[in-house]
Amino acid sequence: MTDQLVAAPMLVVLTTIVALLGLRRWPRVQRSASVGGGLAYALAVGAVAWSVVLAPDAPGAAAYQVGGWVAPFGVTLVVDALSAFMLAIAAAVGLSAAVFSVLYVDRANQRVFYHVLFHCLLLGVTGAFLTGDLFNLFVWFEVMLLASYVFVAFYGGPEHTAAGFRYLVLNVVGSALLLLSVGGLYAVTGTLNMADVSRRMAAPGAYGVDPAPAVGLAALALVTFGLKAGLVPFQFWVPGAYRSAPLPVTAMLAGVTKKVGMYAIVRVYFTVFGGATVGPSIAGVAGSSPLSFLAPVLLAMGIASILVGGVGAVVRDTIEETLAYSSVAQIGFVAVPVGLAAAAPPGSLRRLGLAAALVYALHHALAKPLLFLATAAIRSATGTNRLADLGGLGGRAPVLSACFFLASLSLVGIPPLTGFFGKFLVFDAAARRFATAPGPLGAIVLIALLAGAVLTILYTTRIWTASFWGERTPAVEDAGVDPRQTAVLAALALAIVGVGIWFDPVFEFAGAAADAALDREGYVDLVAPTGGEDA
Amino acid sequence: MKTTARIMVPIILVLAISLLLQGHNLPGGGFIAGVLTTVAFALVYVAYGLDYLDAGVLGRDVEPGRGIFEHRSVTAFRRTFILGLAIAVASGLGALAFDEPFLSQTFVIVESIPIYHEIEVASALAFDLGVYCVVVGVLLTILSVVGAE
Amino acid sequence: MSVALAFVVGGLFGLGTFLLLRRDLVRVVWGVAVVSQAANVYLISMGGVAPGTHDSVPVLAGHGEPVPETTDPLVQALVLTAIVISFGTTAFALALTYRAYEENETMDVQEWQ
Repeated sequence: MTDQLVAAPMLVVLTTIVALLGLRRWPRVQRSASVGGGLAYALAVGAVAWSVVLAPDAPGAAAYQVGGWVAPFGVTLVVDALSAFMLAIAAAVGLSAAVFSVLYVDRANQRVFYHVLFHCLLLGVTGAFLTGDLFNLFVWFEVMLLASYVFVAFYGGPEHTAAGFRYLVLNVVGSALLLLSVGGLYAVTGTLNMADVSRRMAAPGAYGVDPAPAVGLAALALVTFGLKAGLVPFQFWVPGAYRSAPLPVTAMLAGVTKKVGMYAIVRVYFTVFGGATVGPSIAGVAGSSPLSFLAPVLLAMGIASILVGGVGAVVRDTIEETLAYSSVAQIGFVAVPVGLAAAAPPGSLRRLGLAAALVYALHHALAKPLLFLATAAIRSATGTNRLADLGGLGGRAPVLSACFFLASLSLVGIPPLTGFFGKFLVFDAAARRFATAPGPLGAIVLIALLAGAVLTILYTTRIWTASFWGERTPAVEDAGVDPRQTAVLAALALAIVGVGIWFDPVFEFAGAAADAALDREGYVDLVAPTGGEDA
Repeated sequence: MKTTARIMVPIILVLAISLLLQGHNLPGGGFIAGVLTTVAFALVYVAYGLDYLDAGVLGRDVEPGRGIFEHRSVTAFRRTFILGLAIAVASGLGALAFDEPFLSQTFVIVESIPIYHEIEVASALAFDLGVYCVVVGVLLTILSVVGAE
Repeated sequence: MSVALAFVVGGLFGLGTFLLLRRDLVRVVWGVAVVSQAANVYLISMGGVAPGTHDSVPVLAGHGEPVPETTDPLVQALVLTAIVISFGTTAFALALTYRAYEENETMDVQEWQ
């Protein structure tokens, strides 16, 4: 009756967490179990993605009612192409970060709860990608956050407590705002099931719903999602938190949890509010739907992120801080095409914008964790991440340097790497937008994207020349690189090259994901939130 | 204080168990029963001190001077938490064996039992038991660790 | 009723924001707690009060008693979840405060390095 596979990724992580707790007395076994859990997770995600989306006779999407309660009363899990795409990103980053944790993090710190928390983080991410219910989205955000609080506050040095506290307070406020939005939506529509909300918002008259508050409530949710994604002006926690968390976890935070924020924006605005129109137009905004409100706001946030992150990254003096600011800038590159898609009328440009955002998210989720993990490898080899103390790593650790170089090139956008296609599609979407609707807005977007690309070249070049070229410093001279760490990096680097070379299926997958995000009716029909009405 | 604890603790524990058992279709359930049980333990702690459970009730030796995390009852609480989590997840996974969705529940009514005549045995009880263990384990761990500071 | 609740929620959010902006770390933790609770009060007021029926409150149906005026049980379930989460977050914030105090020997946020 139901395709049990849909829940498989979540069940795998849950089981892993219980097993890891049970194994805490045997650290060696626990470490292997953590890697095994990551592997099982990747396999489960692969199986779901194949059987639901990619296989020739796949249905394209599947819904799962936990406990057998029909929608909209039960807890709904939905896998469509969009969820599957994001889960695939989570699986790739999660597995490599799990392996790298075992190799990198201090053995004493790995004991007891490190791996448990790591999989809790993965559980929160998985739940957020799978859930078909707004309140559950909030709950999974909290699961994700609680795990990351502990990583940020307790696994850094003593100087990081302040960063942990700032992260905590900001996210508490964010959670409160999301709760306000969810509660308000419940009061307005009388339901929290995403498909049901979508159905009622599209036909407000038929269900006695007043859609006017939806714009404001969606804006409240946007604040929280922007906070999770680290978009300007909510980026303040990013550098501190990324510096405090252990670097493999930072890879996870930058690669996956930021994307959860972007995923939530796409899912909530395009799928849930996609069909809604609000009666009176909003001041200063053309059009009268939550999407037309989202477009200018998200474009502004994205452009600001690109500039603030890029400028911030150029002047940092450690690798990881540069990368942290860089990830603020890169998430801007994901936000801009989403904003363009929201501004575009329904049609091919909207689809292109979403597909560009997804491809860019994939690229960033491969390149940035690789860079963070390479930074971790550099630190465990040399004991430092300060650009001033590094130099000449290129000759000392050629494979490691090659991986770092490759990821930097991908970040800059050199073909045939994944980053090229990401940048290309984002620019394509912006240029088409400018061509169809010439005006100052389109020009500003294009100029900002160009400036962001130049800044990316600047800061990657700066890291590269400062730490990999030049005279070998004493720290580099004594460095001993762990070949197993390099192997993980090489695997990720191969993934970047591989996705770039065989880009066609990936682009089709991203296109299917964009279609899934825009296919509001399909989503509603899939979940069929009619329990109690038709029955 | 000690007199109050002596009278109240058994009453609270019985109430907690009854809430746990009726939780699947009446007010109650694992969470609230777990909180009540914790309250009972907290009363014992406040009245008699942290070592009383080990030394006075179970007749075990308490090694003074070791960290609170090595304290025997704290270890037991943490085990309770892990056991509860395992029970809850396993009860959810059990439904998969019958090709039902995760967390599906069912019940059977057992008849011709003396005194009660019939008892409703719900599979949700297993999940509730897991929640109960998790709540008791977590809250008591926090309580004893913070209390020891 | 709803006007009073609106004032309560607004007041709680105002107080919470005020506390969050204080220099004293303990006040900030209070602010965290107050803001979370304000969101909870808001959430529970979103269900509204309706004449109770056996459909809206299934638990009462089994006992055949007349059903009084009830609030929406769904928001209460949501609030219970949210309370547990905010409880965990507040407890974590307190633990973090203690640690920050041990490290910096001050509760004043501005004197942190």
